[in-house]
Amino acid sequence: MAGSSKIRTDESLLSRLDRGFFSLESFLNFIGGVVILAVVLLAVANIIGRKFFNTPVDGYIDWVEQSMGFFAFFGIAYCHRLGGHIRMDIFVGFLKGRALWLFELLATTLMLLLTVPLIYGAYLHFNRAFVNGDSSFDIDLPTWPAKLVVPVMLSVLAVRLILHVWAYARALRTGDEHPVAVPLIEDVATQVRNEAEAAGVSYDKDGKES
Amino acid sequence: MDIASTLTSMAPLDIGLWVTGIMLFAVVIGVRVAFAAAIAGMIGLIWYFATKMPIEKALLVSMKMAGTIPHSKVSTSALSLIPVFILIGFLAYHAGLTRALFEAAKRWVGWLPGGMGVATVFSTAGFAAVSGASVATAAVFARIAIPEMLKLGYDKRFAAGVVAAGGTLASLIPPSAILVIYAIIVEQDVGALLLAGFIPGIVSALIYGGLIIGLAKSVRSFGPPVSGYSWKERFASLPATSPIIFVIAIIIFSVYGGWGTPTEAGALGAFVVMCIAIYRGMRWGNLKEALMEAGKLTVMIFTIIWGVLLYVRFLGFVDLPSAFAEWIAALEQNPMITLLFILLAYAVLGMFMDAIGMLLLTLPVVFPAVIALNGGPDVSAADSAFGLTATGCAIWFGIVVVKMAEFCLITPPIGLNCFVVAGVREDLSVQDVFKGVTPFFIADIITIGVLIAFPGIVVWLPSLVLGN
Repeated sequence: MAGSSKIRTDESLLSRLDRGFFSLESFLNFIGGVVILAVVLLAVANIIGRKFFNTPVDGYIDWVEQSMGFFAFFGIAYCHRLGGHIRMDIFVGFLKGRALWLFELLATTLMLLLTVPLIYGAYLHFNRAFVNGDSSFDIDLPTWPAKLVVPVMLSVLAVRLILHVWAYARALRTGDEHPVAVPLIEDVATQVRNEAEAAGVSYDKDGKES
Repeated sequence: MDIASTLTSMAPLDIGLWVTGIMLFAVVIGVRVAFAAAIAGMIGLIWYFATKMPIEKALLVSMKMAGTIPHSKVSTSALSLIPVFILIGFLAYHAGLTRALFEAAKRWVGWLPGGMGVATVFSTAGFAAVSGASVATAAVFARIAIPEMLKLGYDKRFAAGVVAAGGTLASLIPPSAILVIYAIIVEQDVGALLLAGFIPGIVSALIYGGLIIGLAKSVRSFGPPVSGYSWKERFASLPATSPIIFVIAIIIFSVYGGWGTPTEAGALGAFVVMCIAIYRGMRWGNLKEALMEAGKLTVMIFTIIWGVLLYVRFLGFVDLPSAFAEWIAALEQNPMITLLFILLAYAVLGMFMDAIGMLLLTLPVVFPAVIALNGGPDVSAADSAFGLTATGCAIWFGIVVVKMAEFCLITPPIGLNCFVVAGVREDLSVQDVFKGVTPFFIADIITIGVLIAFPGIVVWLPSLVLGN
């Protein structure tokens, strides 16, 4: 199921890389959120301008369409790092130890194998727009910046996936029950507590609701 | 014949079936749903093109084709509605609208038998009107409503059941994120789908309310009414809830009065809620948190959308949906029975899978089959199996299937809303919540039955407002 997961840390190189990279991912996700807010403000300006001053925002649809790549992709690695992309864990939820890390390694490798050709395909899509000088319908905004977002953000995701492959492979080798740098499948109580915290319910350090 | 030539000489439909099997396998071994669909789409494209051209060229063509989909499929202005509505929900919490709603509902309907339960259902319905997410609604109200009910001596299992069930209303009462996604996947009008959810959402809330009153009347210790509020106190509770009424009014007038697009309406609502949240003391930290959460949830939903559409692109080449539709339509049994089997399959699947993921993965194949079952895309209402035009059938099926998916949020073994309520309340086990929610489970079956038997409940409002 969807949900945030806690990630264990230590002083190993992998964990330090994980945390360092997470700062970048968090910043990118924040930019995605800011773009959503910008779309909200732009739409409000458009309505007010159109209704009361008969001057809608010039190229409003173009701006919205070009902004979509930003909020649809900027947080993709952040979301993955926190285990936020939904999945069915009814099967892997039964596994423990090395068997679990083997399947996590397999699933993550499959995702990486998809992401790499997709980066190349998305880059070609951007390159065609860049070379041909494609622009939007209304106010001729260049479309290549929004198209460039996709291969760049998928590359960020690929780095995250490589870190996860590394972490799961290490866990498989050592048989560690609680490896660092990867989202762990949590018991239901913990998972739900995270869901509730995401919805604004907070707890003190003893786990009591506060 | 070696394996390569066996694979490349396969019929397109067989490739479609194998690739769909690969996708299901990937989902089961824990690959994220969005990526499982995209992996299947990519493998499918390579495999299909390899039957037509040399493998190197098939690889390149597939990569080029797949590479266009993430950007082109998300850059549709209709989809900009999703992040805007998500943001409203997070901002509404910080604006304190949930507590204000509950207080007002308590003062206005608390006098009824089981009054606090009724108040909880109506305030979750009100919160649903500004938030599209069921789980968040359940989590928030578990904290606000359950303590008040327990203070008054309500049965704790019943109190928890009310909150878990009330949370599911967010999926039907507009703006519902899941209905927007459904509309986009099946290429129907977003405004029509949102409007269609309104009456079924209200009917669900009324059925829940009626059930609580009935239970409270028949079981003495179930839930005492809350009396003693004067009319002055009742009216005094309303100003704090006015932003919600204002936001609903903005959305309705904007979309159906022709002021603006659904995104513009949602944006205006989000802006108003944000201003109120700031006025009520929302700090930069809260706003940043709301933006981070909205950003994360938006990415999650958009990733599923482009992942599934990559798979759909492949399906288009192998004609799997139309083959499945032909097979379903050719079954020699009453179409309604077939539809019930499809819905039953959703009920089972929904017990193990998130609603959005489940719908997106299955709709590309199931939706054309349902339209074929009704009599095809050009059928008139009079000649159709369900008494609906193709558009009417698309809207009706959307509402029924979404209600079905949300029904799974309160059914064992993984009814997520029940886990959320049990997680927030230390004194309740998951079994307690499942026991408490049982009456609502039966109420939902009745609601789904009513929606199936009387499609007019669903399609009346959209056809009244938007015409046929």
